[in-house]
Amino acid sequence: MGATRHRITILDTGEVYTCPDSVSVLKAMAQLGRKGIPSGCHGGGCGVCKVQVVSGEIETLTMSRTHVSEEEERAGFALACRCYPGSDVSLKVVGKMQKAVKRPYGFV
Amino acid sequence: MGVMRIGHINIRVLDMDAALHHYGKVLGLEKTDMDPAGNAYLKGWDEWDKYSVMLTPADRAGMNHIAYKVENDSDLDTLGKRIRDYGIDVEEVGAGELPYCGRSIRFWLPSGHLMYLYAEKEFIGKTVGTTNPDPWPDSIQGAGVHWLDHALLMCELDPEKGVNKVAEVTHFMQQVLDFKLTEQVMVGPDGDVQAATWLARTSTPHDIAFVGGPVMGLHHCAFFLDEWTDVLKAADVLAKNKVKIDVTPQRHGITRGTTSYFFDPSGNRNETFAGLGYLAQPDMPVITWTEENLGSGIFYHTGELNEAFTEVYTEGA
Repeated sequence: MGATRHRITILDTGEVYTCPDSVSVLKAMAQLGRKGIPSGCHGGGCGVCKVQVVSGEIETLTMSRTHVSEEEERAGFALACRCYPGSDVSLKVVGKMQKAVKRPYGFV
Repeated sequence: MGVMRIGHINIRVLDMDAALHHYGKVLGLEKTDMDPAGNAYLKGWDEWDKYSVMLTPADRAGMNHIAYKVENDSDLDTLGKRIRDYGIDVEEVGAGELPYCGRSIRFWLPSGHLMYLYAEKEFIGKTVGTTNPDPWPDSIQGAGVHWLDHALLMCELDPEKGVNKVAEVTHFMQQVLDFKLTEQVMVGPDGDVQAATWLARTSTPHDIAFVGGPVMGLHHCAFFLDEWTDVLKAADVLAKNKVKIDVTPQRHGITRGTTSYFFDPSGNRNETFAGLGYLAQPDMPVITWTEENLGSGIFYHTGELNEAFTEVYTEGA
């Protein structure tokens, strides 16, 4: 296979994993069983996998403007499910799930 | 008389080509039209009206509106009056403004979702026709879903601030649109907070459902399949097409449906839902799930909610 592999570093946890340039940063993490970036819809719609790229090059597919504004996109914010690495990348996790312990009413 | 069934859902998509591949080739809906604004219209092979899914290109995912079909044109006047009397503004919409439909009425549900009611939509017919039909057409693609079955809308729920849009919208659906409450989840210290509801106008367990969450939204829209083996095969089709599966095939305690959940290429959640569940009749007693059995109600086998299932969803307006 001709895919080029890059090193992804999740700065919050120190997690480091390899991601081919043809696979999204989120999917590569999930397929390796790694943790750190919340995994949601994998389609750029729900926003839980929001990250800020601190260093390195990424290419992104369309992301819901609800979760990443044009200004944020210029500042390096992105949804990890729509990010494909063009070099080694370091990122911080911005998105989150609510903690299950905060659910006194079943769903909330 | 009154509301017959779910008519269509209008979903926003970030990439129309990817969406058409998903809803067309993977789910097996048939594309019936594209309009000059770029909206796509699709129907299941077992549906007869022109579309049950309207896809709108947009820069954010989610739902624009949901529409239900009423039996008679006069129902629009009767229900319009009842909705106004309940205290909700109703807008009269001219024929054709809701695409390929006759006149309609439009209003915001207490949960903040936009709903249309209409009586007429352009007729196309089932793919197998009405004279000596085959049980299914040879043109089926992918999962070959039959029809749009229901939608689940997320409603704001924050009991400590006195907010329960699930209870508000459920009351409206029962009192004004004559939906039958089939099942509910009751939570909280005294078990008196209605946190999720399933309601029907047909004889199936639900034509719409509401679940409480931090913000309102679209949780999923569901497509009907005959049986369990079809759900399993549909999941194979999803995996072949690298669709992000949220929940692999299993059974709901609530509705008894066999199910699988997954996301469209824009992150809107879909479900394939199979089986009758049970015959929902007006005199059937309401089924109640208590908080400690919530997990079994949603996912009967594991008895546990997965985190993404309750926390990941797209916008509802």
